Amino acid sequence: MSQTPIERRVVMIQVQDVVRNYHAGETVVRALKGVSLEIADGEFISIAGPSGSGKTTLLNLIGCIDALDGGEITIDGTRVSQMDKRAKTEFRRHNLGFIFQTYNLIPVLTAYENVSFVLSILSLPEKEIEERTMRILREVGLEGMEHRRPDRLSGGQQQRIAIARALVKNPKIVLADEPTANLDSKTGEEILKLMKQMNEKYHTTFIFSTHDTMVMEYARRLVSLHDGQIESDERR
Amino acid sequence: MKFLMLLAVKNLSRYRRRTLITATVIGVGLMLFLMIDSLLVGIDRESVRNLKQYETASLKVMHTEYWEDRILMPLDVSVPQPYDRVTELHDAGYRATPRTRFSADLILYSEDFGEDGNIPVQVTAIDTALDSTVFDLEQTLMTGRYPEMGSNEMVIGSWMAEDINAEVGYWVTLVTRGNGGFFEAMDMKIVGIVNCPNPNVNRSLLLVPIDTISDYLAMEGLATEIAIALPDSADISHEKELIGTLMAASGAPLTVLSWDEMASDYIAMIEAETGSSSVILFLVFLIAAVGISNTMIMAINERVRELGMMRALGMSDRQIHLLFILESAGIGLLGSLVGTAAGMLVNLYLVHYGIDFGFLMREMDLGYRIQSIFRGTWHVRGILTTFTMGILLSVIVSWFPTRRATKQDIPSCLRHQ
Repeated sequence: MSQTPIERRVVMIQVQDVVRNYHAGETVVRALKGVSLEIADGEFISIAGPSGSGKTTLLNLIGCIDALDGGEITIDGTRVSQMDKRAKTEFRRHNLGFIFQTYNLIPVLTAYENVSFVLSILSLPEKEIEERTMRILREVGLEGMEHRRPDRLSGGQQQRIAIARALVKNPKIVLADEPTANLDSKTGEEILKLMKQMNEKYHTTFIFSTHDTMVMEYARRLVSLHDGQIESDERR
Repeated sequence: MKFLMLLAVKNLSRYRRRTLITATVIGVGLMLFLMIDSLLVGIDRESVRNLKQYETASLKVMHTEYWEDRILMPLDVSVPQPYDRVTELHDAGYRATPRTRFSADLILYSEDFGEDGNIPVQVTAIDTALDSTVFDLEQTLMTGRYPEMGSNEMVIGSWMAEDINAEVGYWVTLVTRGNGGFFEAMDMKIVGIVNCPNPNVNRSLLLVPIDTISDYLAMEGLATEIAIALPDSADISHEKELIGTLMAASGAPLTVLSWDEMASDYIAMIEAETGSSSVILFLVFLIAAVGISNTMIMAINERVRELGMMRALGMSDRQIHLLFILESAGIGLLGSLVGTAAGMLVNLYLVHYGIDFGFLMREMDLGYRIQSIFRGTWHVRGILTTFTMGILLSVIVSWFPTRRATKQDIPSCLRHQ
């Protein structure tokens, strides 16, 4: 295992000796076995590894949607692993964006509504919600499609909505779990380019899990997991 | 909140068929309840009206010992100088009349009735002129006329007349004990038959002139009671108190009883009926609760991943609860609107035409003072309560499945297939 220290940049995420076990009946599955990692502000990092390596678990823990069994996670100076459920919800609401493999859009809402609801739960003024939503939809190339429902959009367009939804609140971190797994290679590449573009423009930290080599190539840093442990950590 | 309302409305229309089926279940339940409630309240109101107009009046003044021995119908515990008391009541602005009630044997003769026989009866002696200011019996004369004062004439209830094959012009004999215990026999001619809305009256009424009876039974001007009519809007307990004070001034041992004290059998029945109405209400709501609960469980199961996503993006459990509460309230509102509208339509028929239970009332004494047609009424409080309960119930039963949804951890929700 090799780990590259972070130089010059501000540390955004600190993962220290994180352990996560799952219980399947009487069997204990050790998903993460003392993982330590530092991620800097504005990084575009890929967590790679085969199925069952623990990449989604690590993403979930950084995303404050799962509870760890040991170790500690600090995001932007806040020890999120010590937070209670309500505080984690509040933290996610303001600081984290998510992109899912299956997009997870709300089918009854239009593209505009799917994006703007993130700002609605932040209780922002209506005018600001509208301006920010329209701007991000424009940036992800969905201008003119804001009134369409997900079922009238292609997979790539749906994932663009998901990216817009993740970015619209200007989060510190965007977590993407296998964001291109449900897309063909051409569309997947377009999505990756878009994510990279957004990372450069907004300086948002992007962490995405994948087992696709094409996706790994886009990452500026590649962390490989195997059997719940970091196997390699390389910068490009 | 605006977003949650938008999402709730859109979700309800997404599962349109399921929403409509659940709302219909709630609607049918509420409609049934409104129907039953309208009938029960309508029957109660009409029964009370018929009780007061034909049977008990609003209040009665009696000797203090009479009510306890009322089954024996004693003549020796009567109201002294009843006409003086009636005059005092008239002066105070009340409609009042003296009455004497006694038990007797009614002797029937083969010349008129085809065969000889006798039946035990209860007879009411009335002042024919004054009685009509308190009771509405004279207006319900089916055939014949009211008896004249001082005569040996009698009016009989229509069902009793049917049972004994009596007709106007037939003679009967009343055998009873007079005031002091002596036996007395009185020949009476049936001069009228009353068919009134109160089945108890039709079943048992025998009216005779009070002055004739006073002579026969040596009542020496006494009466067993003074009946008083009050307007429907009157505060019965307040008036009872006022009349009690007025009667006490006479120095005679008198007491005042209200209609509900005299009709305690009826009141007990109504209370039992309220209990059964509550059981029906409970069953209706149980059915609706199962329907809503099932709908919400299905809605939640189908949207586990969606809920996981919303929670991951920072939507709080409170907001998720609120979303489902809004959705279930929407179903409840729709069900309540459908149920109330349908219930009011059915009620329109019940109020105007009612249901004819005459065949049942003729053969059985159900306790209701209604002869045949049971009509509904516009029970506004009942309608409003039902409407509100439909919505409230929907909200309450959706709480538990929603709670379960927010208990599940987010990664499991996101993995849900």
